[in-house]
Amino acid sequence: MLTIGKLAALAKTSTDTLRYYERERLIEPADRTESGYRLYDKDSARRIHFIKQAQHCGFTLTEIRDLLVLRNRDAACCGDVRKRAIEKKLQIEHKIKAMKSMSKALDRLIADCANEAHPVEECTIIAALEQAVGRVH
Amino acid sequence: MKIELFHAPGCSRCAAARESLKAAAETAVTGLEWREVNVLDEMDYAVERGVLSLPAVVIDGELVFSTLPTPRQLRAALIGRNLRGH
Repeated sequence: MLTIGKLAALAKTSTDTLRYYERERLIEPADRTESGYRLYDKDSARRIHFIKQAQHCGFTLTEIRDLLVLRNRDAACCGDVRKRAIEKKLQIEHKIKAMKSMSKALDRLIADCANEAHPVEECTIIAALEQAVGRVH
Repeated sequence: MKIELFHAPGCSRCAAARESLKAAAETAVTGLEWREVNVLDEMDYAVERGVLSLPAVVIDGELVFSTLPTPRQLRAALIGRNLRGH
């Protein structure tokens, strides 16, 4: 059995992160010492590695909790996980598209600001943003 | 009217529902164009249409169902759009 410190070192993470994962119901100690300290089994390290890899792929902690449930469900198949991975990719691609659009909008503002020596009250970027705010209201 | 069913290959729910949905659509409207879109082949197009979950149904370019509808729900949506003159 591993203490929280040893598990954190093994999983290359912090004890605060492990406590956070526990509050999010992603991991739980296998046992406690007589003094109440958490004890983890070897599977916890694999579970933490899984969580970190999934976070790296963009999954939220809620989604990771679902993936962990699927991982242990006999009736689940790889197709269930694959569908979630494809949906995550769709969401990421959607965000990329939105960010590219933001980047292009900034390009236009930067290009329109031809004279950077103008006083700030004549700044075309601020004027354009103020117009945009006006359109929203 | 054009219906596009966005799906991922290997999705057993999509495969099971496909024929009944297509049949329901064909009874609801005439001149139906039915297309099945594999999102892995057409990811950019799926993103363009706002598809974030699978399976999804797009009618005439508009995302109408982001989860799999029942044949009855699809039929009702198509008839409703027809009445509104889409």
